[in-house]
Amino acid sequence: MKYFMFVVEDPTAEPYVPEEDNIGAWVEEMTARGVNQKGDRLRPASEAKTVRIRSGETLITDGPFTESREVIAGYDILECADLDEAIEVASKHPMARFGRIEIRPFWIWE
Amino acid sequence: MEYLMFVVVDPTGEPSDESPEAWVEELDAAGTRLHGDRLRPIEDATTVRVRNGEVIVTDGPFTESKEWIAGYDLLECDSLEEAVAAAAKHPMARAGAVEVRAAWPIDLGDSPESSPAREAAQ
Repeated sequence: MKYFMFVVEDPTAEPYVPEEDNIGAWVEEMTARGVNQKGDRLRPASEAKTVRIRSGETLITDGPFTESREVIAGYDILECADLDEAIEVASKHPMARFGRIEIRPFWIWE
Repeated sequence: MEYLMFVVVDPTGEPSDESPEAWVEELDAAGTRLHGDRLRPIEDATTVRVRNGEVIVTDGPFTESKEWIAGYDLLECDSLEEAVAAAAKHPMARAGAVEVRAAWPIDLGDSPESSPAREAAQ
């Protein structure tokens, strides 16, 4: 089953400890297991553009689609057996500790 | 360069039942759209945090907001302007909102200096 993983910054998370950042090991393990299909860090939210068309006019604003303390810092597309495996994979990502992770099942468009 | 596009449900959007099918076909034919899909609604979201070594699993999305991400598309564009123009053509730009974010690949050789957690800490 496919899951979309949002890697999110969270000001209430634990302080960052560079020596305990295991992102390299996480990518290596999840790639070897065939779980991680694609993923990337994203440029900071301050560089996001949000596009809305209202009354025929194109409105482009700087920043993400919603104002919140938590902002999306990256994403991964996972292929997992079930939600339990997706949770296990997410919990091992360094940003589960230094931020938070959302996982959402795909809803394949027929 | 890759751009990730979040397709967002936004209550300020104009009512529409236009399907994104024509948009997908056009961008696929142009080689602009690499892949994309719909995601299950936020009721089916799970948020995972690790605090004090303990895994905390909660139902719901990473933030509470009137707007929420309903899908994504990964685009290959020459510039942010091109990605924004592609986003503006998506029917959800009118019915909701579309956010465009440039990919920023991590060089794992540089890890952890380039990790998302480190960026967040700075």
